Amino acid sequence: MGAFEYRQAEEIRDVFARLGVRYLFIGKSGAIILGYPDTTQDADLFPERSPTNGRALVLGLRELGFELTDNEAAEVERGKDFIQLKNGPFDLDLIFAPDGIERFADAWNRRVMVEGFPVCHPDDIIASKVAANRAKDRESLDRLRSFRDYWLRTRRG
Amino acid sequence: MDTTGDIRPDWQAEFEAAARRPLAQRLRYAFVRTHKPVLDDARYRSFESMEDYRCWCEECLPDWLGYGRV
Repeated sequence: MGAFEYRQAEEIRDVFARLGVRYLFIGKSGAIILGYPDTTQDADLFPERSPTNGRALVLGLRELGFELTDNEAAEVERGKDFIQLKNGPFDLDLIFAPDGIERFADAWNRRVMVEGFPVCHPDDIIASKVAANRAKDRESLDRLRSFRDYWLRTRRG
Repeated sequence: MDTTGDIRPDWQAEFEAAARRPLAQRLRYAFVRTHKPVLDDARYRSFESMEDYRCWCEECLPDWLGYGRV
């Protein structure tokens, strides 16, 4: 399996849009879409947890090439808090309950759209990393906060 | 929320350089593929709660990957 590519990000965007999947890019992958210069390995998605969205999400993942067993599909549909997928064309983490964010609706209302990609607001990305309190995040938080400040000063519209 | 402050000049330069690149190019530079022991050795994992996931990371992943809580 190779690294996640722009073409695959476009496929997520286009397939999920067609199926009406509600989700947000979160984590470092979300920050990178916003313009944060850094590296990462996989894409992190924050999907809305609801029966309708869960069913659409499973359809979309299968269309993208993820090989889900019936049991795995049921877990995705139900929205277990954290699901790590390495059974498709790229690595994908589904985070239904990210630390530091109370409700999907709140993050959705604050979302930023970048070329059709729905992305968590930088403040939500930072909040989730602060709450997760992982060693690997702590090292990069100051730089991510600085990026948030830069992004707020320079964003248009 | 966090207060805003001065941005380090080297970071500012990096942010400005990134802003000049189109999204497709930013993603091409950003996503790298490396093997993470244990973490990458299963095709599927799921956790009922984030706490379960964090505990699993601390118990099962090498410390140097940095997934443990501080």
